[in-house]
Amino acid sequence: MSIPTSIEVVDATLFTSVDPVILAGSACAVCGAHVFPPIESCPTCSSLDVETVALPTEGTVWSWTTQHFAPKPPFRTDEFTPFSIGYVDLGLVIVQGWLVGKTQWAIGERVNLVLAKAWTNESDTVFTFGFEAVT
Amino acid sequence: MSVKTDDIFIVGAARTEFGRFDGEDNELAERAVRGALADCGLTWSDIELAVGGTNGETKPDNLVSRLGLTGLPFVTVKNGCATGGVALMTARNGLIAENLDIACVVGYDNHARGAFNASPARYGLGDWYGATGMMVTTSYFALKIARYLHEHGIDQRTLGYASAKAFDYAQEHPYAWRRKPVSVDEAMDADMINDPLTRYMFCSPDAGAVSLVLARGSRAFDLCETPIRLASVALRGRRPGSFEVFSPWLSPGNRTSPSIDAAKAAFELAGITPADVQVAQLQDTDSGAEVIHLGETGLVAHGDQEAAYRNGEFDIDGRLPVNTDGGLLANGEPVGASGLRQVHEIVRQLQGRADGKQVPGAPRVGFTHVYGAPGISACSVLINEGAQP
Ligand SMILES: [Zn+2]
Repeated sequence: MSIPTSIEVVDATLFTSVDPVILAGSACAVCGAHVFPPIESCPTCSSLDVETVALPTEGTVWSWTTQHFAPKPPFRTDEFTPFSIGYVDLGLVIVQGWLVGKTQWAIGERVNLVLAKAWTNESDTVFTFGFEAVT
Repeated sequence: MSVKTDDIFIVGAARTEFGRFDGEDNELAERAVRGALADCGLTWSDIELAVGGTNGETKPDNLVSRLGLTGLPFVTVKNGCATGGVALMTARNGLIAENLDIACVVGYDNHARGAFNASPARYGLGDWYGATGMMVTTSYFALKIARYLHEHGIDQRTLGYASAKAFDYAQEHPYAWRRKPVSVDEAMDADMINDPLTRYMFCSPDAGAVSLVLARGSRAFDLCETPIRLASVALRGRRPGSFEVFSPWLSPGNRTSPSIDAAKAAFELAGITPADVQVAQLQDTDSGAEVIHLGETGLVAHGDQEAAYRNGEFDIDGRLPVNTDGGLLANGEPVGASGLRQVHEIVRQLQGRADGKQVPGAPRVGFTHVYGAPGISACSVLINEGAQP
């Protein structure tokens, strides 16, 4: 039996699994639209028949930017350094998230989902999701 | 032309300087309203319907305590960056629906400095979204234009052209805020805020007020030498496939935009095509927004923007002068006033009395476009119909 891990994340509802990391989305039973994070009704066809699903963990960079100044609160960080944000095309849905490991990207670059350190909470590290380049 | 009684005209227009302002929000608004009334020789007691818009905390309908307790109906609108367009539409529709003759529209704001600080809960998003730095308007603009440039094979330098053009117009506009010229190279080489957008490619929140007086066709020509017909005004929201601010996800596939839909509706209602437009105002919250909106409104084919800027097509003597008062880039954005500033500038251009650079050749047809969160756009077509026979 594996030892239960307790990884603290920014919001547990974003994930179907934290280890290995998998994002949770909603799939509409009526029109097939996928959204992130999970919601109660379909924004495309207004159906209430939606279910939580695991989203793909690999995709391509759809757009990117690097944040060169520290955002105002409620942004939280231990120490600001410029970081990249992108939209990643997962096929079923395009998801916004951190792009980690570097600050210059190319649209179309292949990436996969990882956990990334968001900030430190007293002694615990709090993680969010990000995407890093497939090497 | 033969004036129809249901035609609505703009007969009075006034704006304040935009920039930093230490006084009360309502003081700015009052100044604009009194200016617009003076422009057409009316007094507050002549106004039958008022519509006011602000994104701040003050109540526009309480302006009556400064302007006069005449008992008139005063509607308040609050639609973010599209507030001005919505206020204009509301006044127009009110005149027609209630068979009134004269309405006053006012938009104003007095924002603190710095980028807007948005709260995730107000947009139905979890705290994680703000805490992890996703909820930043400048990064949204950057992500949107980065994708647009890629999809249409447009060079980044196009963004520098857009900024340089804005500040070039503004240096001759007495009401603009940032009037110091910026060259294309300076814009490109300035501090990077969010790749590919530099410091000179964003507008900032500031203060200002604009007011317009609208009149039915039967009254317009008595009140104003050159009334400008509001040929159409259309408001549209987002559909699946649009790319809006504060979106944790986007749908794949065909891209749509409320700007595309609103512009199309405004042109159809007015019975003209984008090619008929001789002077235009577009939402340029950042340089990239102007580039995108040139394409989405149909004024320029997607991908042709770069050559058009380089060839001076949007300059004062070009094919289609755009944002001739310096736009949002040079005026800043008092959110409630911004859309009406656009209409003010077009009205003055079509009347041949521009405050800054005047489009030569007596332009007849103008167009305005606002766009903002959470994915709405309002467009209008304005026409100088000439003297009444
Ligand atoms: Zn659906």
